[in-house]
Amino acid sequence: MGRAIDDPNKLLKDFIWSKKWIYTAGILSILVSELIMVQFPNILGQFTNTLSQGQLTMHGVVVYSFKLALVGVLYVILYGVGQMTNGRTGRQFEYLLRRRLFAHWETLSTAYFRGRSIGDLLNHAMSDVQTVRESLSGGMNMMSNAVFLLASTLFMTFRTVSVTLTLVSMIPILFVPLFVVWMGPKVRGASRQVQEALSDMAELTEESLSAVRLVKATANESIEAKRFERRVDAIVSKQMHLFRRSALFQSLIPLMGSISFVIALGYGGYLTLIGDIKLGGFVAFTLYLGMLTTPLQQIGFVINNFQRASASLVRLKTLLLEAPDIVDPEHPVELGTVHGAIRIDLPEYHYPDGDHAALQNISLHVNPGETVGIVGRTASGKTTLVNLLLRIFDPPSGTIFLDGVDICELRLAALREAIAYVPQDGFLFSTTVGENISFGREDATSHEIAEAARYACMYDEIQEFPNKFNTVIGERGVALSGGQKQRTAIARAFLKDAPVLVLDDSLSAVDMNTEKTILSHLRDLRQDKTTLIIAHRLSAVRHADQILVLDDGQPIEHGTHDELVAAGGVYAEMYAMQQETEEVTA
Amino acid sequence: MSTSLDAMPAARRGSMKSLFRLLPYARPFLWNFIGVLVLVAIYNATNVLQPYLVKIAIDRDISGHHPNLHGVYLIAAVYAGIVLVGLAANYAQIQLLQYSGQSIIRAIRLDLFTHIERQSMAFFDRNAIGRLVTNVSNDTETVSQFFTQFFLSMVRDGLAIVMIVVAMFELDGRIASYAMLIIPVIALISLGFRSALRRAYQTTRSRLSNIVAFLAENLAGMRIIQVFHQEPRQNRAFNQLNESHRQANVHEYTVSVMFNRVLELLGNVAVAGVVWVGGGAVLHKVILFGTLYAFISYIQRFFQPINAITQQWNTLQSSMVAAERIGRVLSVVPAIQDAPHPVEVQGAESVQGRVEFNHVTFGYSADAPVLKDISFLVEPGQFIGFVGATGAGKSSVMSLLARFYEPQDGTITLDRINVQDYRQTDLHQLVGLVQQEVNLFTGSVADNIRLFRTDIDDAWVVESAKTVGAHEIIERLPDGYQTRLYAKGTNLSMGERQLISFARIVCLNPRVLILDEATANLDSQTEALVQRGLQAVAENRTTLVIAHRLSTVRHADRIIVLDKGRIVEQGNHAALMETDGLYRKLVEKSGIELEPSVI
Repeated sequence: MGRAIDDPNKLLKDFIWSKKWIYTAGILSILVSELIMVQFPNILGQFTNTLSQGQLTMHGVVVYSFKLALVGVLYVILYGVGQMTNGRTGRQFEYLLRRRLFAHWETLSTAYFRGRSIGDLLNHAMSDVQTVRESLSGGMNMMSNAVFLLASTLFMTFRTVSVTLTLVSMIPILFVPLFVVWMGPKVRGASRQVQEALSDMAELTEESLSAVRLVKATANESIEAKRFERRVDAIVSKQMHLFRRSALFQSLIPLMGSISFVIALGYGGYLTLIGDIKLGGFVAFTLYLGMLTTPLQQIGFVINNFQRASASLVRLKTLLLEAPDIVDPEHPVELGTVHGAIRIDLPEYHYPDGDHAALQNISLHVNPGETVGIVGRTASGKTTLVNLLLRIFDPPSGTIFLDGVDICELRLAALREAIAYVPQDGFLFSTTVGENISFGREDATSHEIAEAARYACMYDEIQEFPNKFNTVIGERGVALSGGQKQRTAIARAFLKDAPVLVLDDSLSAVDMNTEKTILSHLRDLRQDKTTLIIAHRLSAVRHADQILVLDDGQPIEHGTHDELVAAGGVYAEMYAMQQETEEVTA
Repeated sequence: MSTSLDAMPAARRGSMKSLFRLLPYARPFLWNFIGVLVLVAIYNATNVLQPYLVKIAIDRDISGHHPNLHGVYLIAAVYAGIVLVGLAANYAQIQLLQYSGQSIIRAIRLDLFTHIERQSMAFFDRNAIGRLVTNVSNDTETVSQFFTQFFLSMVRDGLAIVMIVVAMFELDGRIASYAMLIIPVIALISLGFRSALRRAYQTTRSRLSNIVAFLAENLAGMRIIQVFHQEPRQNRAFNQLNESHRQANVHEYTVSVMFNRVLELLGNVAVAGVVWVGGGAVLHKVILFGTLYAFISYIQRFFQPINAITQQWNTLQSSMVAAERIGRVLSVVPAIQDAPHPVEVQGAESVQGRVEFNHVTFGYSADAPVLKDISFLVEPGQFIGFVGATGAGKSSVMSLLARFYEPQDGTITLDRINVQDYRQTDLHQLVGLVQQEVNLFTGSVADNIRLFRTDIDDAWVVESAKTVGAHEIIERLPDGYQTRLYAKGTNLSMGERQLISFARIVCLNPRVLILDEATANLDSQTEALVQRGLQAVAENRTTLVIAHRLSTVRHADRIIVLDKGRIVEQGNHAALMETDGLYRKLVEKSGIELEPSVI
């Protein structure tokens, strides 16, 4: 995936360059629209002059009003066209940027995602991208509108009214953009504080209600209510802080406009009285002033907007320039048919962000067609081992071999094609159950999908779903139980039918009898294929050809079920304990 | 017993009635609202006066028969004056209204929160926490918009329209009547576009949230995508969503641009129309030029308030829905109430801690009993273990003792007094509960131990931590007792959390202790620590333990064995081992020699 062009600055430049004619057309049509619009006060001024000179006829009145209407219509159309062009193009870039982001994320490893919160990443993809788009569409519009309107207004007032009147009365209004630039971030800061106070309260509410049993059991309701009250009071005070600022903001901008107007009224009235300017000029000028407040305000907004957008671009740049750390080797070895022999000789492994060894002295040799059980307590290193085998995390080179080839020498795609994997949590997507099962093989027929579901003991239940295999699952559809999720994930792996199958504690939520059936299907289906089963419940590994017991990253026992039970060690103890609970819960 | 808020019959749309039900919250601020009304009237009046002043300046002082420079200056000064008055009134109005609105919402929130907390556990079983949080945070926020936006707009914009109309008729009735034609046109266009805009906006929003949902899911499951080598496929799926959002977004933008352009067009054409009609009038000397000027200003000022009022329909709708949702929560009467004349507890020390269950039958729904005819007696200071499979009813026994639920039949007494006759707060001071899962609160370790109670000093907190052996562990944390903990993603291990919850219970010092042993795998060192802590906690009080390890209860005064909601055996370890019952089977099945227990 073309890595060189992922810098968003370059992306932006290239994009604008490729759309240069569209942008030119958009900006040009805004420019022309402003040139037309500034005629509006001028026409009214001429109308006034003709009138005050007593030369106006009814025909003249009609002509003037038609001129005004024409100017109005032309302006609206031309400006609208420019606005639309820029707006659409900006949204095109928004689309493009998100597209790049997702494609980029697909190349990054689990280590990357583990170190970041998904909320933060989403924020980049949603708000940062949107901020950039806003300055590209709305910002562009406002900026061209403001600059052109200001320029053409100045031009018109200089030419048709009075240079001194313009200069003198424009002084207060020119402070508007400065004021917006100064005050805007303060208002935004205050509003962010309100948001924080609000989410503080929501968090406390959730925290408190999640612990409601404890709160009740300790008769702590009134204390919790006080904690809640403090959060609510903080909201009120932050809100009022925001309103003081925003009310000031909203009052001072019209105030500056009004001061300008007062000057125009007094000084302009004086100039008219002494005959320096005509009544029409005076009227036109007051109208020009009225037209200017909004664009000047916009200049301020746009400056703030550009600042935020450039900060967003910097964040997006950091994101897009993150280089994938797990990649294909430069000269990959091609395997041909994979038989599924696995050899692990791993003296030690640290996670990239970990300070102690997650695995130590692992030695495991698996012949094609063998089934291996891996057991141990939580956090004993079972999943780490699988992560390395799949290169979800990169093992040290020369420690893990598939069919005698170091897996670091294989193409990622080739390695992962060779392994079917069932994750611990039975992770599924919010699509239909059929699409989930065929996730690894888009070309699977509905017959194959149904077969896989049958082997995973999921078929009958799917048949009872409202739309059978086309039922959407997850938050927006049918909610699956933990066991159903696991069985669907198993069906997904069955359908992939790879030389190596890894079950990462994926039968934990499945009941005993179903587990037995699935395991027997597994044995039938995978007679000459390699299977790795990680399990908490020992019944799942009982028939394995070899069982590896891990504790704190170290292998402590290794052998068949019978050997390990006979040895009377940790495995035997676990087995005895589990038999007890099995009986009790059965 | 159906306390699910979603199951309640109610219109989804909400009604004015639901808003009226919240009106009592606004009553204390009646005078503030009247003040807002006055301030809005002042502000509007100053606005409407502005063009009128310019008209006077033009007609009387500038183009009149007696040009008068002083008159112009005077008008300019008055103009400046009323602008200042208007702004001051506006500023004061915003503060007053927002303060009232915020105070109302504050009161609603406090009531909601305490009301929710008062509900019985059955309520929380049926209503998701997330939904309740939304009630407290978002729905209240939406209702506040009724006061700060809807009410304000009706008053401010409504008054503005009236005042402009009056001013126009004051200037010239005939031209004013022509100008009135524009009102229905603006209103119709606004309403028409408004609904199109809302639809477009909703489509964009929902497609945007599709993107968010897709991204959230795919980033979380990126591992699966990569392991199954399905990057291109997910990429395609993402771009479909991305593209459909772009289209909706462009459509929304188009509609909103069209709307604004049409309004602007209408404004420009209206000015041209006024020039036509008014120009003729000036020509025929019916009105002076200044009047025409004022008309042009007024017609331009007409658009904003009409447009603003049409926006308020949405605000009204959503606040009614939110008020309805709040009203539903507030209308749920807590299922468990204090007795009308509860017993007075004379100090916790006077309570001995004798617990008796007398033929208790209970089920979370009446037709599926979880406990059947349970009777047992616990003498003060005894240590009792409860053993049985998951679902045997152990937790339910404890929930009943804490009166989280009411039994369908039978009585439960503490010191020979029915638990229903205690005030709930008193009962919960007397009966302490340590749960399997430890709830932590955002705050310091010390606050988590004293549960934010101000009447418990630091010395007692440290003392409690020492009692259960948590002191050294806490001291080792970065900021000791002041280390901040987080409810989620917490910075403590399972064992450390367990010890905090023990310290917590010692700190609160209940007479009867219910302990649900944690099942999670602890490493052996922590396990030993936790066992010692448990021993310390149990001292000097009646203790009922739900045991998940047989070793925990081996030395209990008595072990109660539950099976399918019934007590099948009672007795100490030795006695139970002699009878050929379920307990003995459990011990034998475990196959391991029970280590000499620490208790």
